[in-house]
Amino acid sequence: MKYDKFFALAKEAGIEEAELYIGESYSLSFSLFHSEVDNYSSNKSMTILARGIVNGKFGTATCDSWSNEHAKYLVQEIVNNANVIENEDPAFIFEGSPKYKKINTFNPNLSKISIDEKMKKLYELETAIKNGDPRVIEVGGVEYSESQESVTIMNSKGLKLAQKSNYFVYVGQAVAREGSQTKSGYELFLENDFAKFDVQKLAKEVVQNTVDQLGGEACDSKTYQAVLSPNVVKSLLSFFVGYADAEDVQKQSSLFIGKLGQKVASRKITLEDKPLKRNIFSRWFDDEGVATYNKAIIKQGVLQTYLYNLTTAAKDGVTTTGNASRGGSKMGISTFFLELKPGKKSQEELFQQVGNGVYITDVQGLHAGLNPQSGNFSLQSTGFLIKDGKQDRGLDVITVSGNLLDLFNDVQEVGADQRVFPSGIACSSLLIKKIVVSGK
Amino acid sequence: MVSKKLAIDVLNAALATGADYAEIFYEDSHSYSLSIENGKVETSSSNLMNGVGLRLLKENQCVYGYTNELTRKGLISLAESLRSSFHDERKITVTKLDMIRVKNRNPVTNSYDGISREKKIALVREGIDEIESMKDPRIVRYIGSFADNHRFVAVFNSKGKWFKRDTEFGRLAYMIVAADQNGFETAFEGPGAQQDISYFETKVHAREVARKAAEKALLMLTAKECPSGKMPVVIGNGWGGVLFHEACGHPLEASAISRGLSCFTGKDGEMIASPLVSAVDDSTIPQAWGSIDIDDEGNPGTKRLLIKDGKLVNYMIDDFNGRRMNREGNGACRRQNYKYNPTSRMSNTYICNGKSTPEEIIAATKLGLYAVGFNGGSVDPTTGEFNFGCSEAYIIRDGKICEPVKGATLIGHGDEILKHIDMVGNDLALGQGMCGASSGSIRTNVGQPTLRISEITVGGRGGELK
Repeated sequence: MKYDKFFALAKEAGIEEAELYIGESYSLSFSLFHSEVDNYSSNKSMTILARGIVNGKFGTATCDSWSNEHAKYLVQEIVNNANVIENEDPAFIFEGSPKYKKINTFNPNLSKISIDEKMKKLYELETAIKNGDPRVIEVGGVEYSESQESVTIMNSKGLKLAQKSNYFVYVGQAVAREGSQTKSGYELFLENDFAKFDVQKLAKEVVQNTVDQLGGEACDSKTYQAVLSPNVVKSLLSFFVGYADAEDVQKQSSLFIGKLGQKVASRKITLEDKPLKRNIFSRWFDDEGVATYNKAIIKQGVLQTYLYNLTTAAKDGVTTTGNASRGGSKMGISTFFLELKPGKKSQEELFQQVGNGVYITDVQGLHAGLNPQSGNFSLQSTGFLIKDGKQDRGLDVITVSGNLLDLFNDVQEVGADQRVFPSGIACSSLLIKKIVVSGK
Repeated sequence: MVSKKLAIDVLNAALATGADYAEIFYEDSHSYSLSIENGKVETSSSNLMNGVGLRLLKENQCVYGYTNELTRKGLISLAESLRSSFHDERKITVTKLDMIRVKNRNPVTNSYDGISREKKIALVREGIDEIESMKDPRIVRYIGSFADNHRFVAVFNSKGKWFKRDTEFGRLAYMIVAADQNGFETAFEGPGAQQDISYFETKVHAREVARKAAEKALLMLTAKECPSGKMPVVIGNGWGGVLFHEACGHPLEASAISRGLSCFTGKDGEMIASPLVSAVDDSTIPQAWGSIDIDDEGNPGTKRLLIKDGKLVNYMIDDFNGRRMNREGNGACRRQNYKYNPTSRMSNTYICNGKSTPEEIIAATKLGLYAVGFNGGSVDPTTGEFNFGCSEAYIIRDGKICEPVKGATLIGHGDEILKHIDMVGNDLALGQGMCGASSGSIRTNVGQPTLRISEITVGGRGGELK
């Protein structure tokens, strides 16, 4: 077999247990600018992450193609790297879970749709955006991309697991102008069932996201009651869930230290990781080969579990939650499909409940303006004033500031308007008791 | 390595359907990284990257693909697949490849490949020892790391040219988490250079870097929340240049300018900044973090004066986007690796020295913010709306630096903020960062002297500035 050489060499080199994680992908993308195909790309690539245990320590090495020379390189580097590791964390190569609940995330029909058909929809998208509103002065670009990916884990304990998936994305960007003000906006559609794609709907959303920002100006700097759009909630949730990372808890650097079984958010918040929900994000084994399962992380505001891989679970004397994720040179954790349980109120009802406040639709610069450790954030934002229970004029050149822990404790309502985002997060609007806005 | 003969065959296969330009980008890179966490070596990892990117241009159309199959069959197959986007007659046949030679300002001298893991570990350990010597119980987590990258690139194009580029980078970094009863703070310091390990032994001192990060995290534990609203802001030198990088650098890249998608499109020769501001993107600084001798299209790295005394005079241009602007590329075409289609990017970008001293700038400010540490930022080049976060800042009262504040984010429009710069210092310094855009994450230096913005919107939780 193609990879046998690696395992044979690993054994010869004294590597006690060894594992290969092989990611392969085929991707295709094309974009239009001024009705001309300006970029077309077609790629095949692979990533091989190898690790092995030497004297109880993990050594790791990676490469992006395969030959006997690569196998030799990986084995040699695993040994050399393992020899300098000092931490005493338990190292595991997994023999496999007793049972896996396999989910098919590959849609064979996607490759049967011709490129011409996919291209035709892209031209339609560009035209629909251009004609969507007289204030649209430019279609910044429209792009179609698709990807077919597979993940294979094989190890010296005889485990071999593989999952194949595919998806496509249409994305459009518009530029609109009114007076001296220019705004740009975009939207995308992600699926693996081509029949679900509605060009006109996406174009309408792109245009709406762009022209809605026109006419905005800063508001007074003060504390407001606020509705956060699902788009904003998605960005904040991705950091908030990070506090459940068991490694950070063990290393005394998480806001959830000692909070298991305690209230960490408003009673309105129920947050679940659902890797087995049937959608394009489904994953039936994690990056260590452990069978995944659906679980509540926070239930009615109370922290139910930390998120574990095999090493961190062993250190806490618990079973892994199947959230191992390969990132960089060590095994981290991640959620696969994070779902905030929706509430029952529509966006209009949330606005009515607020009366007078702000509706925040976008936040920018999370990597710079949000401190993941302290949870403090101050972010460039856009949105609208809420006046007498209705959406009023736009807001421009403002920041919103707060603390993640405070914010999720201040949730008064969760909306019914759930949206699913490409980052594998499903969430709806939140009504927040208070948020600091800096403007005029 | 791809031979010249094979390169000619692949280029000609790619050009068969009417492309007016074809280019092979071969890459072979080795990288290594290690981390020491709370005193013990936690990770040690090696990476090998080897592939080819093939780009075909036809007027304003670009076709790009890459592969790890570096055999004749693999490369010809990639060329045949990509050329199927075009349907014209052949315009160009490549018969020979002449080597482009440029000045080598960034030589690989004492390669990291030959330096032992133990030596790199010992280097990081110096800083770890320094942190441990502080014996401060508020430091709950401390990570020291070192990463190096040896990258060999060879490019062959249908203009009958080829070149090779051999570069090496090293970066030493410390990340500190400090905690007290009020919560956590973090701090990061990570100097890097296109130089061998002697740089970290003679010019940068691990103990000083680590201590600086630790002291910053501890200081921020004591800081109050930053006030909010519009106020004068003095921005410290070095990493403060991230303001210019975001607010002005990205919108001056040809990828945005050429499509009319920049807030500076059509403003060539106009005053876009205060007359005190001149700004440069300079790929030629020897052994600097963002320097390149030759760009990914074979154009030599240059020093580009972007803004002269407030007037817009130039851009970062690559040959492909230059087609829409009727301009030649000026050595700004870059990519993270062979998996990315290259485009116009920054290198070492900075605002030039002015005449004021930093002390004069502080003394001239009655009430405002002094921002000296930064987390980075982002921009929408089309609208010019930018943000950047401050990791270390102080209130200025009556011309004196007073209490530290945390959680400040500065926002504004790039095409307006440069006009509000009313004092420029004489203490230019550069800071090393990673810049992300469509052609991936690349090394760039940001830089500036201390300068003052008369009014900018500051986001924070501390209420009104008093």
